[in-house]
Amino acid sequence: MNRIPFNIRLVLPAQLTIMAIVVVPTVILLWLAHTDWQPTQNIPWFDAEFYWFWNFYDLWYDERFINSVFRTLFVVATCIAVELFLALGLALLFLDEWPWRKVAVSIIILPMMIIPVDAANAFFMLFNERGPINHLITVITGEVFEFSWLSHPTWAMVPIMLAEIWQWTPLMFLLVLTGLMNLPENQIRAAVGLGASPARIFFRVMLPLLVPVISIAVVIRAIETFKIFDPVYILTRGQPGGATETISMYMYNGAFVYFRMGYIAAAALLVLFVVVSVCLVLAKPLRKHG
Amino acid sequence: MREQKTWQTVLKRTAVIVAAVFAFFPIYWLISTSFKPFDEWANWPPIWLTDNPTLQNYRIVFFPDLAREFAAQQEGSLDYKVSGSAWNAFKGSAIVSVAATIISVAFGTLAAYSIVRFKTGGKNYPFQFLTVRMVPPIAVVVPMVVLFSILKLSDTYFGLILAYSAFTLPFSIWMIRSFIDDVPAELEGAAMIHGMGQFRAFLTVTLPLVKGGILSTALFIFILNWSEFLFALVLTAGNVVTVTLQVANYVSASSGKLYGVQAAMGTISTIPVIVFGYMIQRHIVRGLTFGAIKR
Repeated sequence: MNRIPFNIRLVLPAQLTIMAIVVVPTVILLWLAHTDWQPTQNIPWFDAEFYWFWNFYDLWYDERFINSVFRTLFVVATCIAVELFLALGLALLFLDEWPWRKVAVSIIILPMMIIPVDAANAFFMLFNERGPINHLITVITGEVFEFSWLSHPTWAMVPIMLAEIWQWTPLMFLLVLTGLMNLPENQIRAAVGLGASPARIFFRVMLPLLVPVISIAVVIRAIETFKIFDPVYILTRGQPGGATETISMYMYNGAFVYFRMGYIAAAALLVLFVVVSVCLVLAKPLRKHG
Repeated sequence: MREQKTWQTVLKRTAVIVAAVFAFFPIYWLISTSFKPFDEWANWPPIWLTDNPTLQNYRIVFFPDLAREFAAQQEGSLDYKVSGSAWNAFKGSAIVSVAATIISVAFGTLAAYSIVRFKTGGKNYPFQFLTVRMVPPIAVVVPMVVLFSILKLSDTYFGLILAYSAFTLPFSIWMIRSFIDDVPAELEGAAMIHGMGQFRAFLTVTLPLVKGGILSTALFIFILNWSEFLFALVLTAGNVVTVTLQVANYVSASSGKLYGVQAAMGTISTIPVIVFGYMIQRHIVRGLTFGAIKR
């Protein structure tokens, strides 16, 4: 032990914990991904039949899997675009000082403080057949509207994405606001002095200066949204018929509802590989700041 | 000109109010449902503010026996066959969250110190911790179930603590690293001239200066642990229960989701997270961006 340099000994506890919980399972994953292990057949995992690369072959033709991938990418793109748009608009309202500013910020960021499962439950009630959203539509249109959002294959994605957007726009807002408050004031003042219109100042001066902050915000939200699970599990569990499955939900259903561990392990390995490679590229803006 | 300015201000403030209403409405609905008697949970038209507020939902969560007595006196009572009492869930979440937070922050501080002051592992070393955060947990969960069953860790506090510690370590390391980074190394140097060892210099000079930052990190990690759902769902089987699991558990065979009870449990269980969240509001941006954006 004494031969290990002091600084290495300091990182050892953290490194070993991560090894035990992330690296060792990944090694097990490498094996499982090439088997057809199904715990319901009462065969221990290490005795499972070796399956070569057939799992990956099957995944390629598994429509449910491919759809869940594209669905997840769609959710990521839509949620982040909406969050960013709302956050930019909101942050612009908070540039000047006014009496209740702090209180208003505190209320607006409340959603991100809530446990995601509770937030999802709230949205489950809101979008219930007999929930307040349908009631509002009924009141506005004057016709009874008892649409069951959560059991419709297409429309069920709306409450899921709204729950996600509702919960995480505040974070995007805080990030953009922090960026806006840290902008060099003299550049904006110079633009004002030169007689630029507010819109021009925003697009030509502020937005370019915000790019580093926005890219960090987008990368971090993209990584987190890609993992989306809690709202899907609470709102639909991927139903009806897998029509609202994101990647995480697909893998959960495959592994813990249908017990196709080997097959899902292959999907997991694939996702792991792609995500880590993409993230290493995406992490560039973080790297610059780190 | 002046009038135009006033109008702009009115418009801006109205927009803020609308945003605040949107932000608060789902939470309002959660709280308001938690006080509704069960026949009002899914009424049509929905009841926006109940005329018969009741504490029965909270009784079901915390005092099932009292709730049963109360229900017996009333007509049209409901079956309350829910798994476990909420106390168990609060106990489970408290044990797991506190222990995992302590481990994560302690290990994280040591690693962050080593990374900042010794440049351990070179420039790219800290990034391998970040990849842990990028991986969707579900991808690691399948082999983790296997690993946990070999090590007899499934459905134990220790197993969940281990999982939570590992998956929050990237946050601890990066956040604390950004706090230590703010303290000039010269301060430790000065202490070392007076004969202190390097680690002691860190403990007596730098650590007190970043104490606030470490506390914020701890609260932040606690929030993550307390809110976690997926690991709890997959790695436990009834022995260990967390608050998030308990919230998802309030479903009865005959009446479907028990909205009011769920809302009551949801309201109570989210309070600690909200309190801690506002306590570290200044640092939450730093935390969620791994220290990349500071206030």
